[in-house]
Amino acid sequence: MEEQKFTEKESLELISRMIQNTQRKMEKGAGTPMLIWGSATVITTIIVWLIVRTTYNSYWNFLWFLIPVFGCIGMLLRKKQSRGIRTYVDKVIRSIWLVLGITGFTLSCLSILNVMWHLPILFIIILIMGMGTVLTGLIAEFKPMLFGGIVGMLLGAVQYLVPNYDAKMLIFAAIFIIMMIIPGYILNQRAQNHV
Amino acid sequence: MFKELDPLLHSELRLGIMSILISVEEADFVYLKEEIKATSGNLSVQIDKLEKAGYIKVKKTFKGKMPRTICKITQKGINAFEKYVEALRSYIGEKGGGSKTWL
Repeated sequence: MEEQKFTEKESLELISRMIQNTQRKMEKGAGTPMLIWGSATVITTIIVWLIVRTTYNSYWNFLWFLIPVFGCIGMLLRKKQSRGIRTYVDKVIRSIWLVLGITGFTLSCLSILNVMWHLPILFIIILIMGMGTVLTGLIAEFKPMLFGGIVGMLLGAVQYLVPNYDAKMLIFAAIFIIMMIIPGYILNQRAQNHV
Repeated sequence: MFKELDPLLHSELRLGIMSILISVEEADFVYLKEEIKATSGNLSVQIDKLEKAGYIKVKKTFKGKMPRTICKITQKGINAFEKYVEALRSYIGEKGGGSKTWL
């Protein structure tokens, strides 16, 4: 292959072919982090909801910390199948989720520990995660995430306005199914077919 | 007037490596080997040449127990690649996509 006849036209074709191939690569299991964090949130919400509504003790809100516990365990257990490259899109998306994740976690801590008890924390988390989902959908040009994020944020307004605790919690869980679990599942199906 | 084509880049293998690396943050040896369809030995030699020229940075790590070589383009490499494409354009533009060979 080395040092053989190589025209300027072939040279340009090679460059565009390599760049196009690279852009088309989709990581197998790309949607798994969304499935993990979405499921961790939904399961924890149901647990907190069931316990708080039966005990009437807000002390159980500390169980919200199960989200990072479940999430981190899931991320450690997942079999990461590297595709051998890391694109700039990956880097941007990772940075967005890192910043939003830290912001959401910090605000949740301040709310659960009663430092900022008056915050409508569930609504704020929906907005933060919704923004992350919409941005990721736009950057990765993945419509299920874009629409999931928009619908999630709109339902967030409903979640904020309904006065009933049960409805608030169930809408919160439903939003994470729409915003993360469904797009994550679709993404994994597509990645499976495109690798 | 034709601009000079960088001989280090005007090789199918090395240009393939650089074309991949310019569009990603980093790529590993296995990925480059599969995409370029080169033998491990030949790819190693070309990566070494590009690294010595300062066009790419090579980092050797481990993935579990398996060694992993990660390549990343440098600013010098980006500049060289851009200059190469610009030179290429001068040929295509002036000759309308002829087929003269240089190597």
